[in-house]
Order: sequence, then C-alpha cells, then structure tokens
Amino acid sequence: MSSGPHDRGHDLTLVAEAAPSSTHSRSGQERPAARELDWSVYMARAQGGDREAYRCLLEDVTPYLRSIAARHFQNSGDIEDTVQEVLLTVHVVRHTYDPARPFGPWLVAIANRRVVDGLRRQGRSRAREVALDIEHETFAASQANLAETASDGRVLRDAIEQLPSGQRDAVRMLKLQEMSLKEAAAASGMSVAALKVATHRALKNLRKIFARQGGKT
Amino acid sequence: MITTPDLIESLVAGAKPVRRLRPPAARAALWLLFAAAIVSLLAVSHGLRPDLAERLREPAFVIGIAASLLTGVLAAAASFVVSLPDRSRLWQLLPLPALAVWVSTIGYGCLTGWVEIGPDGVRLGEVAECIATLTLTSVPLSLAMLVMLRYAALLQPARVATMGGLTVSATAATALSLLHSLDATVMVLVLNFGVAALFVGLASVFGNKIFSLVAPR
Repeated sequence: MSSGPHDRGHDLTLVAEAAPSSTHSRSGQERPAARELDWSVYMARAQGGDREAYRCLLEDVTPYLRSIAARHFQNSGDIEDTVQEVLLTVHVVRHTYDPARPFGPWLVAIANRRVVDGLRRQGRSRAREVALDIEHETFAASQANLAETASDGRVLRDAIEQLPSGQRDAVRMLKLQEMSLKEAAAASGMSVAALKVATHRALKNLRKIFARQGGKT
Repeated sequence: MITTPDLIESLVAGAKPVRRLRPPAARAALWLLFAAAIVSLLAVSHGLRPDLAERLREPAFVIGIAASLLTGVLAAAASFVVSLPDRSRLWQLLPLPALAVWVSTIGYGCLTGWVEIGPDGVRLGEVAECIATLTLTSVPLSLAMLVMLRYAALLQPARVATMGGLTVSATAATALSLLHSLDATVMVLVLNFGVAALFVGLASVFGNKIFSLVAPR
C-alpha cells in the first residue's frame, strides 16, 4: 500500500524568507536557525505546561503557516482554515515533538499533511459545486433583462389594444391596474359577474393572439 | 467560524503539561516485549508443535521462521519511527529485505504443505485451532499498537497502518509456525490485508474523534 497522494506535500520545505517576522521581538533580519531554536525552546516549555511560551509559539508560527498555506490556496478562507487545522494538529500531537531535534521539519511535516487534506477537500467540493461568477450575476440581475421586459410589455399592450372595448377595460382595470372586482365595478359601471366574464374572455383572446404570433415567428 | 487568534487563545487555555514520547526504539522494544509475552503464554497454554525439534533441523523452516521474526521486529521499529511527523519515509523500507525472504519461504511452505498434508491430512480441528491462535495473537497486539500509535491517525494513518499491519502479521505468523504443524499461509496473508484494512479504518475513525474532542469549532 503506498501513501499515494500524500506524497504531494513533500515539495514543501522550510523557506526562510517565506516566514514574516512576528510581533514577538522578531526582527526581519533574524536568522531562521535562531528563530527555529526559539520555537524549539518554546515547544519544550509548552510541553511542560508553560502557557505563555505556548502562546508565543503559536502566535509566532501562525504567519509562517499562513505563508505555507498561501502557496497552495488562493482563497483567504481556505488559507485560514488550513492554518487553524495545522494549529489544532500541533496541539493534539505536541507530545510527539522531541526537543533534541529541529522544530522546523516537525512543523512543516504536519503543515504538509493538513495542506494535502485541504487540497483534497477542495477537489471534492469543486467536483460537485459550481462557483457563481460574474456572468451568472449579470444575467440573473433585473437590470440585465430590462430590454426583454420592455419588449414583452409592448407586445402585451398591443395585443390588449386589439381586444373588444369591454374586455380591454376589464383587463386594464383588473390585471394591469390591479383593482379589485368591487373597485372595477364601481369605476366602470359593469356588474361583478360581467367583469369576470369579460376578463375570462379577454385572457382567452390574448392567448389566441399570442398563439397566432408565436406561430408566425 | 472562529478566528485564528481566538483559536490560539482556546488552545493555550487548554494546554496541560504533556509527557513526551519515549524514543521510537524504546517504544518498539516495549511492544515486542508485549508480543513475546503473548506468544509465550500461548506456547504454555497450547504447547509447542510436536515436530518442532525435527523441523528446526530443516534450513527452509529455520530461514522462514527467522525471516518472519525479523520482519516483525524491523516492521515494529519502522512503525514507531514513521509514526512521528518529522522522520524520513525511507524507514518504511527497513523490513523489506526480511519480508522478501519471508515471502519466498511462504511460497515454499505452501508447496510442501500441500505435499505433506495431502488430501486427508488436514482436520477441521487443526484449522480452527490455527484461527484461534491467529486471533489470540493478532487482536491484543493490534490493539496495543493502535493505542501506542493513536496520534498517527492525524499524521500519516495509511503509512503507519500498513507498517503496523505488517508487524502484527509477521509476529502472528511466527507464533503460528512455532505452535502449529499446519502451514496456514493463506490465512496469514488474509490476516495481513485484514489487519491493515482494520488499522486504516480505525485510524480514520479515531482521527476524527480526537479532532472533535480537541477542536472547539
């Protein structure tokens, strides 16, 4: 059984310039070896229960982990997720660190594992999700569909003009102006029943008109 | 989602002193001691195979049993080394030479087994006892290894599980050669894959469990 895709992570190495200086008494010129020694000392103390050393260590390695993750992920959310996964793993397996050995390779090996996991997770979600990009937004937005709406409206108004006057008034009042049956009856002097019949016939006629137009085009 | 500084705070707040792992060689020796104890107990309760003294004069048998024993010892050492995040993957190759010798003698044993046992030589009782011996050796040894290597679930589960499976298989095969007259090669091979699959399965389950216990997300 081979470790398969696990191998992908092994091109990661401890790159000195990739690690930005941290807020804890780090100057940019400090040699990576010295910094790694600090991390080793912090971790040794953290294993003994020194919380302040542990806090220094985690805050110190975070920018470095972020730089490793940024080489594999573009999305800042993915980068931060990976950094947090690495920090959690470091926490769980901190007893496996041997202070006699360098800290860098230990940390990078753990980071590699979580980067590979993150890449796999990303691959899985990409296989079943479609990202919304700018084109989808443009086509779905109402502003993008104004021309179509306007032309549809014109065609409908023209069709209504062709209806007999009683049906035309009924559709205008009840459908376009959205009046209630009572209001329309009061405004037109027609009975509610007559309005209903007129609307029903008007919609039937409109359907016929559009069917004819659709057949022509 | 929790922010990284908040995560660091919660990890620091939950940081208790941890006991560092002993060197991998010492841990492998501890496990092998346990394995020796199990096999000795089985030898006492079941008794060695009746023809052991006679078989030990055969070079093929001696080479086979020595190779399986050596495979077990080397694979145990390799398991404990590769389970650490910062050790080279090349340690996986350590048991390969002994494994090659063992596998070549398995082929021979299989052949002679057929010839020696013949069509009516194998009784059901012997096979059942063989399975019992395999179970009695491999289950406690697998569990011990699983507990000792549980942190590897977060690091390189497949690699460590494969090594662990090989270790347990080789040890069980050695016990089997000492205790039973039957050449149960096929069973040993099935066990080899079975234990590795079990390890991979349990490792992935354990990995998630440990993570959800620790991770405040």
